[in-house]
Amino acid sequence: MGKQLEVEFGQITDDNIEQLRQVNLACFPVQYQETYYKNVVKGKNEDLCKFAYWNGYIVGAACSRVENVEGSDRKRLYIMTLCVLAAYRGRGIGTQLIQSILDHYEAEKDAALSKVDEIALHVQISNEDAMNFYKTKFGFEKGELVENYYRRIDPPHCYLLYKKLR
Amino acid sequence: MPDNNPQNGAGRPLPKKEADLFKNVIKHYETKQYKKAIKQADTILKKFPNHGETLAMKGLVLNNMAKRDEAHALVKLGLMHDMRSHVCWHVYGLLHRSDRNYNEAIKAYKQALRIEPDSLQILRDLSMLQVQMRDLDGFAVTRHNILTMKPNGKINWLAFALAKHLNGDLRGAISVVDIYLGTLTEGAPELSRGFEASELAMYRNQILSEIPDNTQEALEHLETCKALVVDETSWLISKARFQLTLGRHAEARETALSMFKRGMTENSRIHSLYMCAILKLDKETCDKAYELPGTRSLASYLPLTSEQKQQLLDAYANEIFPDFERSAAVKRIPLNLVEGDRLRKSLGVFIRKSLVKGVPSLCRELSSFVLIEKDGRFEIASDPIDIKEHSAFKLIVELADEYISCLQANSKLLADDEFEESPSTELWAWYLRAGLHELAGEYESGIALLDKCIEHTPTLVDLYELKGRLLRSSGDIKTAVDTLDKGRDLDRQDRYINNQTTKYMLEAGMDTDALDRISMFTKHEGNPEANLYDMQCSWYELGLAACYARQEKWGKALRKYACVVKHFDDFHEDQFDFHSYCIRKVTLRAYTEVLKFEDNLWSEDYYFSAASGIIKLYLRLHDNPAITKEDAEPDYSKMTAAERKKAKAIARKKKKQAEKKKAEGQKKDDANGDKGDQADGSKMTDLDEDPNGDEMMKRDPLEECQKYSSILSKHCPHKLETWTLQYDVAMRRKKWLLALQALFKLNRMDSESAAFFQRVVDFGLKAADFGEQAPAVKNVLKDGCVELLQKLSVSDYIKQAVEKVQGHKTASLPLRVAVAEALVLINTSSVDAATALIVKGGLDARDASVESCRKALAALKGFKSKSVQDWVSVVKQQYPRIADFS
Repeated sequence: MGKQLEVEFGQITDDNIEQLRQVNLACFPVQYQETYYKNVVKGKNEDLCKFAYWNGYIVGAACSRVENVEGSDRKRLYIMTLCVLAAYRGRGIGTQLIQSILDHYEAEKDAALSKVDEIALHVQISNEDAMNFYKTKFGFEKGELVENYYRRIDPPHCYLLYKKLR
Repeated sequence: MPDNNPQNGAGRPLPKKEADLFKNVIKHYETKQYKKAIKQADTILKKFPNHGETLAMKGLVLNNMAKRDEAHALVKLGLMHDMRSHVCWHVYGLLHRSDRNYNEAIKAYKQALRIEPDSLQILRDLSMLQVQMRDLDGFAVTRHNILTMKPNGKINWLAFALAKHLNGDLRGAISVVDIYLGTLTEGAPELSRGFEASELAMYRNQILSEIPDNTQEALEHLETCKALVVDETSWLISKARFQLTLGRHAEARETALSMFKRGMTENSRIHSLYMCAILKLDKETCDKAYELPGTRSLASYLPLTSEQKQQLLDAYANEIFPDFERSAAVKRIPLNLVEGDRLRKSLGVFIRKSLVKGVPSLCRELSSFVLIEKDGRFEIASDPIDIKEHSAFKLIVELADEYISCLQANSKLLADDEFEESPSTELWAWYLRAGLHELAGEYESGIALLDKCIEHTPTLVDLYELKGRLLRSSGDIKTAVDTLDKGRDLDRQDRYINNQTTKYMLEAGMDTDALDRISMFTKHEGNPEANLYDMQCSWYELGLAACYARQEKWGKALRKYACVVKHFDDFHEDQFDFHSYCIRKVTLRAYTEVLKFEDNLWSEDYYFSAASGIIKLYLRLHDNPAITKEDAEPDYSKMTAAERKKAKAIARKKKKQAEKKKAEGQKKDDANGDKGDQADGSKMTDLDEDPNGDEMMKRDPLEECQKYSSILSKHCPHKLETWTLQYDVAMRRKKWLLALQALFKLNRMDSESAAFFQRVVDFGLKAADFGEQAPAVKNVLKDGCVELLQKLSVSDYIKQAVEKVQGHKTASLPLRVAVAEALVLINTSSVDAATALIVKGGLDARDASVESCRKALAALKGFKSKSVQDWVSVVKQQYPRIADFS
């Protein structure tokens, strides 16, 4: 573990969306669809989708959304992507990104996010590091196994990780 | 019966009602209510259709409504009807003034003044034209007249003082200022501390210092006016410079120190003054050191002895550093004074700090340590040959490599550092190393490192920019464009990378893409190209012109260069706005600077590029008249009937195709134009006039060349290319003396240059065929030729050059090529020897850039050398990416 890096957050816009593509390309084995990028830009929500800047340039990003939970009027925060460039990992940048989303929830839980009661994400079953990260740092729990969630990578299955917020 | 009809002019007044209307016309004109002015002028004209002054005024109003031709006709008509009216003459002058026809305007104003000598308005207008045209004597006379008529206006006094100053009557100017100050009553606001009083005092001081050998008085005056001056920075600078001029070095040192205390520690010029004071240098060196650009200072300009260096280091250590330890300049400047281990240590601290911080310009800053001495002064080395061998460069490379390996081994810059570095330190270390590779011409290694950087942090735009630059230098402009465009896409609000991409695209011949990219930053409505023209975006137009020239679109290229020339005409015209404004605001120091700048306007680099571009294009048109006569019919008379039929058919087909193409182009242009018109409702711009340069193509090439070449000779005498162009133009115009003059200038500036050598040989060979000359001219040409050829025959002169080039391993590649070409020129059987001159030297020569390698290849092909492939493989070893090279 190297020393911690204090990052600053910045908005994802139409003018810098290519950087999100570069970061994702460097971090994920899957390619995201155009609609994902379009929605991030269209959302214009700096609290849910953001870049992490260090020393003036982008080293990571987190993108989340508020979605309906099927069969109820409850909602949840869903983390679509979280990534930090390999060279900058292990320095608390991912933690700061997730924490900032949780902070946003805390600030809005009686207002815009009053119907939200959990935060969740999908993680490939082989990705031990990620599961550890969410469990130990933030107390996420392992949920259901979703089979054949991914199409082009092996193993194709994933777990739902979630954390009850209230 | 006396003739009282006002229509006949000559002072016969209009009746009251019409006279009032006429006053209104003038009022509306002045308040720019042109439609109302026209309406009332028409009312007068209904009754007195031939009233001269009304006709003239109506014309003037129309001129401001962009109806130039109608305006001219009306004003002339008005003048014909009333030749003795000063109003008509004044208006006539104003009309010429708006056409920038200044000499005619001055004549008209003077005519008006002959009729009405006391018109202040006309006198003021005249004075402005005079200073614009630098008729300084006339300007002084006019300002004197105005002052005599209205001695109570501040502006009139200052303008007269300025006129004296510009005429070189410095004492006179001072006394005008003093008399003016004497007219003020005690306690007047003009006499108390404030901007205007301050500027006037500093202006007076400037004039005092311009009087030869008068520094003492100027220095004393500074002290007397101290209480008035609010611009303390320039007050202190003047004081320090006067003290240096007078040799009062200890006092100058104190003044410099007080400037540091005022917070001017980051200004390298003050550091230069400080160091000059300590070393007690002469005035000339002080002035030169003070004028150094950017962050350069005396320490990186003048070679110093070790005692001098020690003296300066002691001063910095004891006097400056303790008080200003946070200043970057205070830390940076002494680095140029230390040597050996101390340099290694200090440089190390400097570099490590920058790597941790992430300073993209670090390499650039470090390159200012790579100094070579020339004529007793330091210059920053630019040729990889010099750089690679330089001890400071080797040291920097050594340090960078050390940091890189230490970071890789244990994430620390130094093995015994306490903390590990953040990941960006390694990134910036690689980036620095790539920059150093660039300086040394090792593009492949640099590109490989940058690929590693991009993999590490694909979001950093600087990486793409440097990689693009390296790719470009290694001859692969297409990939360079792709790389830059990718970097540009990362941050579409970064104007710098956008411009850089545009520039590269133009270089790669992608003019449509270039316009597309730069349009992201122009006004969104209207035609972007017109917008760029309005914004006077010269670099783009120069790039586009060069792009067209490479595509052999001669007319369009000429047209684009002409746009830049037009911008400079506009810059020159722009000073008009300052003539009255600056005097009113008493910014006289800045104003005289502007006048000086305008006098030297044509020496600016952008103008030089445009003018030299135009000359080169016209030279090509002159040398290849076929370009302009493409449509001319072939000679049918020598053909057989069948051939004739065939040739005519081909010609018909070609013509048809050309017409079709032209029509399509027109349609496209129209469509674009319409869009522009609708969006911003603008009228025809200058850009729409002769958009394809067809008119420019019809001009006489040599006349145009001569026009621009003479401007360059006058305003850019310090550029080598000015004189190569003058030579090339003069030889074609058979102006042998001008050609000879150019050769002597080149000889003095750089007798080792290929451009000079080539032309001396050319001159020597052609000298026999110069034709009949006057005996005096003949002698000058003969003596000049003998002198330039160093009393040798042309072939011995070339032989001497061959030996010289063979003797110098690093003799520049362009010179080798020129010598080889000369060798073949005089003796076609020496192709092998000539080839050896180029190929054997390899790329260890100076100036062995991709571009000069291409020229060498062209030369080898030109004399049908058998070793073309050898050269190709030599070059490809160094520049494996070089495109279109075989």
